[in-house]
Amino acid sequence: MRDKIKLHYIEHIPSVPKREMILIRLGYSKSSTVLDRKNEELLEYGIREGSLLCRPKGVFCRLKIIERNIKLVKLENNIELASRNLSTMLENCSEIILMCSTVGREVTERISYEVTNGNASLGLIIDSVASQKADAGLDWMIGFVNKMLRKEGKIITPKRYSPGYGDLDLNNQKIMYNVLQLAKLDIELTEKYMLIPEKSVTAIAGIKEKSFT
Amino acid sequence: MKRAYLNELLEKRIVILDGATGTELQRRGMPKGVCPEQWVIKHPNVLAEIQNEYIKAGSDILCTCTFGGNRVKLEEYGLGERVIEINRELAGLSKKAAAASNCFVAGDLAPTGNFIEPFGNMPFEKAVDVFKEQVQGMLAGGVDLFLIETMIDIQEARAALLAVKESTDLPVLVSMTFGNDGRTLTNSDPVTVLLILQGLGADAVGVNCSTGPRDMIEIISLMKPYARVPLLAKPNAGLPRLINGVTKFEMEAEEYGAYAKDFVRAGVNLLGGCCGTSPPYIESIKRNIEGCKPIGKCAKPYSALTSSRKTVFVGFNSPVAIIGERINPTGKKQLGEELKQGKFSEVRRLASEQVENGAELLDVNVGMPGIDEKETMVEVVKLLSNIVETPLCLDSSSPEVLEAALRIYPGKALINSISAEKTKLEKLLPLAKKYGAMFILLPLNDEGVPEEAEKRYNIIKYILASAAEYGISQNDALVDGLVMTVSSNQQAALQTLQAIEWCAKLGCATTIGLSNVSFGLPQRDFINTAFLAMAVGKGLCTVIANPSSEMLINIKMACDVLTLRDKNSLKYIGRFTGNNTVQPKRDERKNPLKPVEKIYNCVLVGDKEEVVSFLKEAINEGVKPKDIVDIYLIPAITKVGELYDEKKYFLPQLIQSAETVKTAFDYLQPYISQDKTGSVKTSVSIVLATVKGDIHDIGKNIVGLMLRNYGFDVIDLGKDVRAEDIIAKGKETGASIIGLSALMTTTMVEMKNIIQLAKDKGLNFKFMIGGAVVNDKYAVEIGADGYAKDAYEAVKLAKKLSFLK
Repeated sequence: MRDKIKLHYIEHIPSVPKREMILIRLGYSKSSTVLDRKNEELLEYGIREGSLLCRPKGVFCRLKIIERNIKLVKLENNIELASRNLSTMLENCSEIILMCSTVGREVTERISYEVTNGNASLGLIIDSVASQKADAGLDWMIGFVNKMLRKEGKIITPKRYSPGYGDLDLNNQKIMYNVLQLAKLDIELTEKYMLIPEKSVTAIAGIKEKSFT
Repeated sequence: MKRAYLNELLEKRIVILDGATGTELQRRGMPKGVCPEQWVIKHPNVLAEIQNEYIKAGSDILCTCTFGGNRVKLEEYGLGERVIEINRELAGLSKKAAAASNCFVAGDLAPTGNFIEPFGNMPFEKAVDVFKEQVQGMLAGGVDLFLIETMIDIQEARAALLAVKESTDLPVLVSMTFGNDGRTLTNSDPVTVLLILQGLGADAVGVNCSTGPRDMIEIISLMKPYARVPLLAKPNAGLPRLINGVTKFEMEAEEYGAYAKDFVRAGVNLLGGCCGTSPPYIESIKRNIEGCKPIGKCAKPYSALTSSRKTVFVGFNSPVAIIGERINPTGKKQLGEELKQGKFSEVRRLASEQVENGAELLDVNVGMPGIDEKETMVEVVKLLSNIVETPLCLDSSSPEVLEAALRIYPGKALINSISAEKTKLEKLLPLAKKYGAMFILLPLNDEGVPEEAEKRYNIIKYILASAAEYGISQNDALVDGLVMTVSSNQQAALQTLQAIEWCAKLGCATTIGLSNVSFGLPQRDFINTAFLAMAVGKGLCTVIANPSSEMLINIKMACDVLTLRDKNSLKYIGRFTGNNTVQPKRDERKNPLKPVEKIYNCVLVGDKEEVVSFLKEAINEGVKPKDIVDIYLIPAITKVGELYDEKKYFLPQLIQSAETVKTAFDYLQPYISQDKTGSVKTSVSIVLATVKGDIHDIGKNIVGLMLRNYGFDVIDLGKDVRAEDIIAKGKETGASIIGLSALMTTTMVEMKNIIQLAKDKGLNFKFMIGGAVVNDKYAVEIGADGYAKDAYEAVKLAKKLSFLK
């Protein structure tokens, strides 16, 4: 029997953040917001700069579900996640996937620089790109693993869950951090379970047989 | 097994491989969760039974049961130290099964399950070593050839192929898995996979697993027009489905075998089965291809380069490909500095810009004093392999640097360059052959650069003949026309054009380093572009240039139309119809705006660069600073707020307007202090902080910026601030409002502690809160005076709390 968790590190996630999501984060409304040429140029520049500064990396692993009840999910290697909502989401799942995506430190430093040096609007756009790029990293990983699972006749649940979301307490971030060995991605965990660099996200999704979808 | 024998066999007939081993072992009793390799060694009769059935069904080649026999996989079962022994034994078992037949035994190599650099984190050389170890075991067991199969990432396939090629001269077949999008897991398309693997010396290339036969025929059809090697296919019996708790494959043997003829028509030479297949499936293939002959090789001559995810064809029928020349530290101070420090931001920028501007290939040169060129080149190649799909042109004068780059590059690269200089020729041609690279043929020798075209032809012929001795085709050479500067020798350009024309007649693709032609002349773009057009007219295929020159790109695209390289002018039309937006007309009203109106407009459009000059004009005209504030600045920013509320403006516009107001306030402050009649500031102080334990502060910073621009005196304590410090600062500064920010559920509770602390100390601050996890309800719950969902709401709330309009 295997007892070591197999981690898959991806040194570059070729995710492309959705432009409309970047704009939505900035309060843009398709039907009413009007951008003049200057703002369009600023937006384009910000998106390009943001994309260049992001270093999207990630890691994921698969874990077997040993037991699932109304309150918690027990996984192999004695890992427990207490969340009613997560447990419901994992109905019919035999495994879960844990994943993390980060865009690195350089982009956060640039955002901070722009906001504190008289160019907050550019900082905001880059911030939005970085947030979206980190999220898109998780989406990309889900698509990637789904391709891997295809020949096993399995699929990832359409929903995913993150520590701090719903009733899955943020302190579960520590489990994610340890299992995924996030230090290898140059990520730190604070006392209050925050990830540094800031634009780093973790998530949990279920793996189920395709016939259950 | 001799390579020549295999090739002869493949020319005569379709060779049949075996079917699945894993699913057959499970069907015959292998429990789930065990190490298959170890189980088979303990139950050799089960494997013998399966393989004997495959032989009877018609298989010409059996695969060893070593799919998970590499160190990485075996380590999962604590068997990492027994790799050679296990592989030797398993190879021996298959040899024994095949002994009484004419069947050959292929040593089976499959993925480690790790991702290899540059995509993943497993070092490339480690992957090569892992496969080499397995190969050693199988060679000891007596295999006749190798099959690398089910590869999901081209870099891992390369590692396995190099491991075999560097260990033995036995034939090696390589097969990858493609998804229903027609790409591998790491996004390589079938043609790119074929070009890389056949370039590296695979004896056959193909596809296995993942899909059923229907989709796989399409993959073979895509590869066939470019295949210089035989093609193989091993489809699954369709996709697995869970029926009553049992995994079943969707296709039965008869239906499966019915696709065999279509595979042969598509150009396949080796056919077998993967997951879910069994001896009856192989028998069905055998029956269906009875009498079928392979259709033979039909690839026309072509020249192509690839990254791991894209192929670029170069030649007389393809658009002229621009090789972006900018990643070269010569004359680029910032790039040079960064490379010395091991930083690559500028490389990323240059790569991205060049690709955006139309470069089809990227030249990479990192040669400069003070750096380890080999190490830097490898790092840059790894970086670019990930961030751009554009194939790379590896540019160095050092064979050692080039070999390191070629080895790690997960594509078919272009070597820049190989000349007839004896030492280089001897070192670089074998490298080009080994890694399947194309090369730029530089027509110079140890005596230097011949000025006359005739002498250059002789060198070109010499290098091509030398390359042929290594088995390198003329199609893998890109002859450099050697552009010399016309300011020192006006004949130079004509000599280059002659060489290009001569190569075109020879059928050899060409390139030029364009900008050299105009060195020393003014307005170099005209000379460069004119020369490019002339060279394309003579048959030029690629050009090394800076793609940021719009004129150059436009003329190149026009040349592509005029030389029939841009079919139906689609690319040309696409470029110019996509770019015909009408420029907005300038506002040229007869009555120009007054300076104060311009100030109002500056705020409205967030023009902080211009606002000061209009403020100067307005003050010179005698407008009172207080009036500028009250009548123009405040109404303008209020209007901006309304536009933001109506979502006609988005957040960056709001912020820019706020920054413009701040610039205006800063400029006006001394005047207002002098006239004593008004004040920019509200005299309301606000302490802002992100609470203890929370490190997010962009939202709080934006709130601070907005509040300042609306005249509040903001004391920003930063992030991760203790309750005691916030309260103490509030007391010290006489602040009337304290703004708290928290982004996480674990830190929002700190807000309550701060409010409680203030109460305990008898301090009557107003508290406003904000952040992703808090809301109005939470504000009430903890005794805060209000919640603001964004920066503009924060301004409104601060005004409300301080009784300002």
